[in-house]
Amino acid sequence: MIDRLTAALSRSRADYTEIRVERTWSTAVTFRGRRLESATASEDQGGFVRALHAGGGWGVASFTSLDRLDAMVARAGELSRAVPVDPPIRLGDVPSHQADALLDLDGDVRGVPIAEKKRLLEAYNGAMLGVSDRIVDTLAVYRDEVSEYWYVNSQGTILHELRPDVTLSGTAVARRDGTIEKGLESIGMRRGWHSVQDKAAGFRAVAERAVALLDAPTVKGGTYPVILDPELAGVFIHEAFGHLSEADFVYENPQAREMMTLGRRFGKPVLNVGDNGAAPGLRGTLPFDDEGTPTRDTTLIKEGILVGRLHSRETAAAMGEQPTGNARAISFRHAPIVRMTNTYIAGAPGGGNFEDLIGDVKLGVYACGAFGGQTMLENFSFTAAYGRMIRDGRVAELVKDVVLAGNLFQTLDRIDHIAADFHWNQMGGGCGKAGQFPLPVTEGAPHVRIEEALVGGDVGGAGEAGGP
Amino acid sequence: MIAQLVELARRRADGGADALWRRFERTTVAFEWGRLKSAGITEEAGANLRVRHRGRVGVAGTTATDAAPDELVGRALASAELGEELDLAFPAHAPLPSLTTFFDRAANASLDEVIAIGRSLLARLEREGCRVNVAIERETTATRVANTAGAGGEYRGTGFGVSADVWRIAGDDVLVVSDAFEGADLPSDAALAALVASINARLDHALRVVAPPEGALPVVFTPAGLSALLLPVTQALSGKAVLQGISPLGAKVGEQVFDLRVSLSDDPLRVGRTASRPLDDECVPSRTTCLVKRGVVQRFIYDLETAARAKTESTGHGTRGIFGKPVPAYTNIVLNDAGAQHAAPPQLGGGLLGDIRDGLLVDDLIGVGQGNVTGGAFSHPVALAYRIERGEIAGRVKDAAVAGNAYELWKRVGGFGNDARWTGSRCAPSVLFEGVSVARR
Repeated sequence: MIDRLTAALSRSRADYTEIRVERTWSTAVTFRGRRLESATASEDQGGFVRALHAGGGWGVASFTSLDRLDAMVARAGELSRAVPVDPPIRLGDVPSHQADALLDLDGDVRGVPIAEKKRLLEAYNGAMLGVSDRIVDTLAVYRDEVSEYWYVNSQGTILHELRPDVTLSGTAVARRDGTIEKGLESIGMRRGWHSVQDKAAGFRAVAERAVALLDAPTVKGGTYPVILDPELAGVFIHEAFGHLSEADFVYENPQAREMMTLGRRFGKPVLNVGDNGAAPGLRGTLPFDDEGTPTRDTTLIKEGILVGRLHSRETAAAMGEQPTGNARAISFRHAPIVRMTNTYIAGAPGGGNFEDLIGDVKLGVYACGAFGGQTMLENFSFTAAYGRMIRDGRVAELVKDVVLAGNLFQTLDRIDHIAADFHWNQMGGGCGKAGQFPLPVTEGAPHVRIEEALVGGDVGGAGEAGGP
Repeated sequence: MIAQLVELARRRADGGADALWRRFERTTVAFEWGRLKSAGITEEAGANLRVRHRGRVGVAGTTATDAAPDELVGRALASAELGEELDLAFPAHAPLPSLTTFFDRAANASLDEVIAIGRSLLARLEREGCRVNVAIERETTATRVANTAGAGGEYRGTGFGVSADVWRIAGDDVLVVSDAFEGADLPSDAALAALVASINARLDHALRVVAPPEGALPVVFTPAGLSALLLPVTQALSGKAVLQGISPLGAKVGEQVFDLRVSLSDDPLRVGRTASRPLDDECVPSRTTCLVKRGVVQRFIYDLETAARAKTESTGHGTRGIFGKPVPAYTNIVLNDAGAQHAAPPQLGGGLLGDIRDGLLVDDLIGVGQGNVTGGAFSHPVALAYRIERGEIAGRVKDAAVAGNAYELWKRVGGFGNDARWTGSRCAPSVLFEGVSVARR
């Protein structure tokens, strides 16, 4: 394959050309309730070419028939010439690399019969269903893939990788009369079959929580000190801050650039944030990004001050900074764009544990897990999976419908205490941007305290009851 | 390839098979932050096969269409071995409605013509202190579906999409106003002018920031802002949700649960829409489905599988990609069919603002689709909304949130606007609801 790709490269008349080819084997098994909804195996293959002529824009071609490789290389070159760009696109310098990077498959999923995958998922699904007859519905999904990946560019980089990914998710729906609650379990790793064994306890726990939430009151809306558990803190830093640190948002937008000026204070000195595409064994981890740039640990906020951002080769050159290995594409169907990898809030050495964060909280909310979140730049809204009230420095009753909404800048600045209990949340799902979803990423954080945040499920008190 | 695939499957699967083959070519042009940045082409082809063998159903998909079809049949049969028993009947041959889905002007537009559309939009949207992104996409597709019962069909389609967003960042205030055209044919000059006028009107009104109102207030949702109120209803009208027992409308067929002036239909035969098609992805001929008529629930949408489980007929809503199995999905959703007009750009608010002393006009919300959507309760911070005072737009509000229960609100609608338009694959006017909870943050 490499010979075929370098031969095609040599025929390109563009000043810069890169080719990616991927072949992906995947299986997916889905249970809904006791019913197996589907068990499928798929094979997806295709290529991607990107070309740049001096003074031209990006010419891009993607295709599923590899017989079309030479034609597509030529077409990408023509498209680049057809879109004059001034000032020209430049690419940040990256030394060329030749690597055969076969990640540890940890039990190659391609060698496991699909019937065995069904049995595994059936057991986890059964763990949820077995909790109580209040569990009226479940959705359990197993998905794995192994992607063989080739990348070459006209600057001499030649890469061959084998990239595994395996995810499990479970939703347990509990119902009593008109009240419906759910619990969500999600596991994801850039590994293989061995890494998803013995996970029943997590599925059982979310089903138990869904049942418990049936009796939990809705949290009373208002402003509280809020402690985020590591999962929600990770989702928060990814969604609310991470996307703003992607340089394609700022590099050609002077106003955005001003908002994200390096050196600006974003938080108290306790706040340290980064993105690490080289952290071992995580879903956002790869040796190289999809432009052949080695991944690395990039500090974004150091002691409360903005010190870095995430780059592709193009955004780095435009801003006079270094490429950070964050140009990623979800598949051969897409061009690489600036994305996060494994994004984290660093644990504070000496920051203590969860108990140290709540000790002086008279009335607060402990917000745990995430059902979802959306940001519109400086505004965000996150739905926690569940919450617990904190009363007089202790964890008290379970509450539901915990929605956190606010302004990013205010909220980051109100983070006043960060524990030392950091961990990575190895979840499935993924990140979406510009039509590219789901991109495997990981988030990590310790427990984080926001001194004051708006919490509300029901903002006005009207319209909660009722139905058709 | 598809005839060969279905024939091979017939020989090896005792309960029949159906298949979809689709090929598309897409041309894209992107202007980023005010300048032309890239042009691209995508060529993709793939096949999806479903078999029924020994009473069990299995599916398999591939983009390796040059591979031997035997291999795909083998994978589908392996999937069926694990599959659940299902009494799935593949439909017999039936006449198809005639429908134009392919437009030469869209298919033949040159790259230069596409770029020219983008440049003309940029020129009309540029303004001091703002940055503009424009993306244009043109697609041509060829689809073939067939089954072992003799049904099938093929059609070609075109699609054209133009989207623009204008960004204004002042200090820490980020304002984004966007709009898009989506259709099967090239956009007319009037459609592009309407897109520009829609963005400019909303941007002009947004420059002034005012304090949000508070309380149970009249709120007008624009055609785009209406998602939070329509999503629970469309989810509840899916036969899949009804089968799962999670649809609040599951037992309400024949009952009036909405305002008498509410009608909702799904129309795959609308000429000029990209979701329109003569038959669905399971060989069922397309027809218009009336979901709600004068406030009364009429029926739910089904594909072959959900119809088999519900012991009813498919409504022609089977939708499948290259990978995975078919699912029931809407085509073109139409609220109160009044016909969308693009000729004269309508007033923001669709003429519903005049009688409002103090209220809100909602164009975009944050977090729509999160949480327990089907139940109808919603609570969202606003992304783009305006305060209405004495019948006029006073300015943009930030840090406000709206909440309510969609089913309660649809029972008594304050009024429908005269501004029905397509947003994506949904056609709706602005709608006024009374007593929506509005809170400040």
